[in-house]
Amino acid sequence: MEQLLIILVPALPLLSALVNHLASGQLGQRVAKLSIALAVLTFVIAAVLLAQAMAGNDSNQVALGSTWGILLADPLSTLMGLLIAGISLIVRIYSVRYMIEERGYGRFFMLLDLMTATLLIMVAAGDLLTLIIAWHLVGVLLYFLLGFDSRSKTAYRYAFWTLITYRIGDIALVLAAALLFHAFGTWTLTDIFAQITENPGAHRYFGFALEELVGILLAIAAFARSAQFFLHTWLPYSMDGPTPVSALMHAGIVNAGGFLINRFATVFIHTDSVMHLLFAVGLITAIIGSVLMLTQNDIKKALGYSTMGQMGFMIMECGVGAFSLAIYHLIAHGLFKGTLFLGAGTVINEARKSDGVPKDKLYTFVVEHRIAKRQQPWLLMAGITLVVPIIILFFAHWLVAQDFFQKQGAIVLLFFGWVTGAQLLFTTYRMGAQNIWRLVGVIILSFAIIVLGYALISHAFDLFLYPDPQFSSQIHSAAGIDVFWFDVLVVLTTAVIVGGWLLKYYSEQNRLPGQDKIGQLWTSFYALVSREFYMIDIYARLTRMLLKAAARLNILLRWR
Amino acid sequence: MSEVLLLLVGLFLPLFPLSMVFNEVFQRIRVASLRVVLLLIWPQIGVVIAHTAGVEIPSWLIFWALATAALYGFRALALREVGLWTSFIATSAWTILWLTVDSRADLAQLAVYALALSAPLALLALLSGELEKRFGAAYTGLYGGLALSLPRLSGVLVVVILAIVATPLFPGFVVMMAAIIESSSQSFIAAVTVAMIWLLWSWAGARLLQGIIVGPAQEEATADISVNSTWVYAAVLILLVVSGIYSIGSL
Repeated sequence: MEQLLIILVPALPLLSALVNHLASGQLGQRVAKLSIALAVLTFVIAAVLLAQAMAGNDSNQVALGSTWGILLADPLSTLMGLLIAGISLIVRIYSVRYMIEERGYGRFFMLLDLMTATLLIMVAAGDLLTLIIAWHLVGVLLYFLLGFDSRSKTAYRYAFWTLITYRIGDIALVLAAALLFHAFGTWTLTDIFAQITENPGAHRYFGFALEELVGILLAIAAFARSAQFFLHTWLPYSMDGPTPVSALMHAGIVNAGGFLINRFATVFIHTDSVMHLLFAVGLITAIIGSVLMLTQNDIKKALGYSTMGQMGFMIMECGVGAFSLAIYHLIAHGLFKGTLFLGAGTVINEARKSDGVPKDKLYTFVVEHRIAKRQQPWLLMAGITLVVPIIILFFAHWLVAQDFFQKQGAIVLLFFGWVTGAQLLFTTYRMGAQNIWRLVGVIILSFAIIVLGYALISHAFDLFLYPDPQFSSQIHSAAGIDVFWFDVLVVLTTAVIVGGWLLKYYSEQNRLPGQDKIGQLWTSFYALVSREFYMIDIYARLTRMLLKAAARLNILLRWR
Repeated sequence: MSEVLLLLVGLFLPLFPLSMVFNEVFQRIRVASLRVVLLLIWPQIGVVIAHTAGVEIPSWLIFWALATAALYGFRALALREVGLWTSFIATSAWTILWLTVDSRADLAQLAVYALALSAPLALLALLSGELEKRFGAAYTGLYGGLALSLPRLSGVLVVVILAIVATPLFPGFVVMMAAIIESSSQSFIAAVTVAMIWLLWSWAGARLLQGIIVGPAQEEATADISVNSTWVYAAVLILLVVSGIYSIGSL
């Protein structure tokens, strides 16, 4: 019975796509009803499978072919399956009215159904071939969904950027799969993982340990799919597609990088430096994505860069060994970003009539950057800023795992939590409020709830996805670095951040020498950010150069 | 003797500069049906000679084949004429077969691989003929917007291009996977090169599609391909998908 349910999850949207394609002429706008009915059924079945996995049932699988077509029902695939089924159901309900006046209404639903089926196959794939096929097809289908309006050359231009970036990721995945197949003689993931666990480091290719080389290739595949720095330019520009597609893309497609890393956790725990690469690239992406988001005046583009920042954070979490936290992050992000995209149209429409922002003290502080004249004693505020978040964070982590301080990844995430909480309190100090202590109290309470919730839920995810404590600890070990250098890095970074805060507190009350120069530097940096670090220009120029070179070669060789 | 045979194989699984012969012949033929025959037969001759001669293929020749495939894949990026695009991508695709041609390989499998790469190109040659009939030339960026004015032809064209660029489930995907698996056992650089050639095809395919189907609808009404023709194209494409799904199991 469970095997039938595993097959039905991707089969139902496939069936819907087929019927939509063959009978869209007869069904007319009723194609949407059919699509939604089958999507509801898919969601229910996905929920049943997840419930079974949560009840502690053993992982199950179905093999549709001899060497490929294996579909898994394990904790990771059932969790991701429910997320995809849920988000695609919401997107389809939203599209019923949103797309009603568009040409190719039936085609749109057919493409959505195909995309849903492909994503569901991708997360359930139990062999490399099925994974590659689904991974590749997601890019192709996204190209046609983003370019749904065939009249728009701009939509196709940016859909093409997406396609070509995804193809770079596909290639990395294909190469990783070829190496794994060579080493182990099978496409089946469970067999490959069993052999790696039994005898890690047994194979070497071109001077590298197999796990290291495969890990790097998988990381590249994840970077392309999850818009990491250097492979991110497609994401904020792919907004010319229909809004429901943007919602699906940001909520259920772009986060596939986190899924891929989790799926290949067995490979990553046997690597030396790949986890550090994940951390570095994720951190850079998180910072750059967030900075670029803050400078956008287009709400959808800002959301695009916000996704880039969040994806950076997700990859960074993988880099510190918090694999299950990355899954929680991608689910939480998928839900809130999907909501934001689906609500963006209404917000824009309302904003055209009135911006709706009350001209209160929050407005003058955030928008007009007016700092309150009367401020609290800075030493007291600095003390609260530094100490309170750290107490909350330590308490929350201690509650779920007493030995958390032995995991470097947990310390790094604690550090980020501390910086975020402290920055919030730091900002409050400069804001005018009738009762500043009430505001600070509310912030601390909210922070405590968020941190506790985050710690408890991520701990629950850890127990569900990685119930074997030894495996979980191996993930953290693979992410670790030498204790001495780790401590040096933590102390140094803390000193820089705390020093910066103290300097800022001090400078707001006492003018520092050379502040004009800092202002100029800040303006130059803003100019650089407003041009998105010239990445788009560089890629466009490179593309033009390549096309010109190809044309010259053709002339040189007389078109033969 | 073996050198002469290798030269012959190099002509039919075209290695640069011998590849210029095939491209010259293909471009001289203006009739779509003859182009189809040429596309289907040319690589089969190469495969048969390579297999029956049983010549050991030196490794430098494999790299030469890959260089040829990369050269034609790259040059296809700048092409706007559909016929030229077809012949360049055919050249690029057939040279990939050098990776799978060795004395151990089964002739039937090699012939199927060659057919897997040629069949969608043959369909494109027919579609190119349809475009020439309607507009006088099969050229990207010249008319555009065919998705709205000729939806059936555009739909078929999209799927045919997907088949040519070795999208999964089409047999071309199996050939590319087989080539990457084969090359990765010998040289990682060779495997990466095959993968990059695959990327070039995707890029060239997307440029071709965008130049033909995207844009506002044509003002002048043009007849679309008939429903019956569409079904014939669809049947061939479904056959390709079924054979692709079947042959994935052989990897």
